[in-house]
Amino acid sequence: MVDLGLKTLLHDKVRFLITVSGVAFAVTLVLVQVGLFVGLLDNSTITIRKLDAELWVTSKNSPNLDFVHQFPESNLYRARSVPGVERADNLILSFMQVSLPTGAEETTIVYAMEDFQRWGIPWQVTQGKLDDLKRGAFVIFDESASKRFGKFEVGDYREVMGQRLKVSGKTREAKSFTTTPLAFMDFRRAQALQPELLEGKTSYIVVKVATGADVAVVKAELERRLPYNDVFTSQAWAERSRAYWVENTGIGFNAFLTVFLGCLVGVVVVAQTLYTSTMEHLKEFGTVKAIGGSNLDIYRMLGKQATVAAVVGFVLGYLPAQLLKPVIASAGLKLIIAPELTLVVLLGTVLLCLGSALISFRKVASIDPALVFRS
Amino acid sequence: MFNVAAVDVTKTFREGREIVTVLKGATLHLAPGEVLALEGPSGSGKTTLLSILGCLLSASGGTVEIAGHLVDAKKPAKLQALRRRHIGFVFQQFNLFPALSALENVEYALNLKGVTGNDATQQARELIERVGLADRARFLPRDLSGGQKQRVAIARALAASPSVVLADEPTANLDVNVAGQILDLFSELARSEGRSLLIVTHDPKVRRVADRVVRIEDGRIAA
Repeated sequence: MVDLGLKTLLHDKVRFLITVSGVAFAVTLVLVQVGLFVGLLDNSTITIRKLDAELWVTSKNSPNLDFVHQFPESNLYRARSVPGVERADNLILSFMQVSLPTGAEETTIVYAMEDFQRWGIPWQVTQGKLDDLKRGAFVIFDESASKRFGKFEVGDYREVMGQRLKVSGKTREAKSFTTTPLAFMDFRRAQALQPELLEGKTSYIVVKVATGADVAVVKAELERRLPYNDVFTSQAWAERSRAYWVENTGIGFNAFLTVFLGCLVGVVVVAQTLYTSTMEHLKEFGTVKAIGGSNLDIYRMLGKQATVAAVVGFVLGYLPAQLLKPVIASAGLKLIIAPELTLVVLLGTVLLCLGSALISFRKVASIDPALVFRS
Repeated sequence: MFNVAAVDVTKTFREGREIVTVLKGATLHLAPGEVLALEGPSGSGKTTLLSILGCLLSASGGTVEIAGHLVDAKKPAKLQALRRRHIGFVFQQFNLFPALSALENVEYALNLKGVTGNDATQQARELIERVGLADRARFLPRDLSGGQKQRVAIARALAASPSVVLADEPTANLDVNVAGQILDLFSELARSEGRSLLIVTHDPKVRRVADRVVRIEDGRIAA
């Protein structure tokens, strides 16, 4: 079969290039913006996902992971006494000030536990040992802190809340939603640094449910025994935290707006070029009808042109988005382009391009067949 | 039995508030193998009649039969089927597809008429050879002369052996010598297979190859 649609599309190379460039631009824009958005949301709950606990006991009505208030650390004993709890520990999460050698101050989010190792966080320790945290005034910073705190090495000292702590190790990928680097220290050390806020207090109790125990039953019992706290499964807590950022910070609306604008650019470019092309080829379409073709034959042709433009444009847009990953990472951000996102954007691109061809369909349907006889 | 039988055909158009009658009872018959030249001044209704006979336009009144099939304007699918099976067109401006080679232009017409695969390629090649363009088969229309383009258009019109070939001023854009060759080729190919050929023209050279010349004036067949 002679493919008139494809040959016509590729015949005018400049027009084809303009069309696919428009689609590619829109695809890159959408992938990068949504990828950054997903990356930020991933940061916002990465500790929930990495920490080996099924249940999180939080202060009442806490909106998200980072914004909690403290409650008595002794609640831990009530949690540990619940049947089906394999183990439970206190976890402090608190914003602390770090004094830099330059005299400036920066903020870090401190995670403090008695035994990090058995909870699986931090998940990538690149230098030092977690056990060292118990042995004195030590702190482990994430590598990303060097961007804000300046270069630092294991063995350096930093002042946290006015007290000198020795940097005993480094982690990787431990960042918050706002890209504030995380720091890890011993539970009692953190309480000592902020006694007015943290003495006798904790931010969370994390709970590992015993094998064979029903998570829902354990959760219900924890809620009964700790009526002044909330209890979430780790998945529900992560969703609540992400929802907070999406709904309350405008980042969700911003991402939606960018996706909308990206789609609009793609639709306008494809619709405009397809329509112009259709107008210029009206006589050819009339000829197709005259020699036995139907409107359906022409719709198929236009549909194929739109689909090819969409797929080629998608590929040309997808590659730069992937190439931007290391550049974005060097800026301290995370670009996550999951297979699901790739598939959705590909399908969306094809559907929007086909939608753009609808204007041309209408024009073709109204062609005067006698057009073929005009000079 | 006629390949084309148009009886008392009328056609009216609405132009703003006015109703313009372009055809006022045109009657025309074409026998198999007959070459008919249709002449007439501009605005006499030639192209409108051609469009109606080609099932591109519906008549307001009268009856049209193509290869024994009554043309029913209320059934667009049937009109398309008639065009597909029984009618070939040759246009003044050639109307070739610029992105397709000479061979592909013919093959595409065959595809639309239901011939596909190697059969279509083979038949297209034979048609291109019959119009003397075997060595130009892979050329795009932009690389062909006017006469060569019209040969491709003739090959395309003859694709899938239509009963009727309708030509609109096929020599208007050709020089004198080439026009003569094209008319000879065209009439020979039509006659040899019993096709009816209707040529709408202003060109007096067409009379040389026509079996009959009819004139249309003011929407009526004059003679």
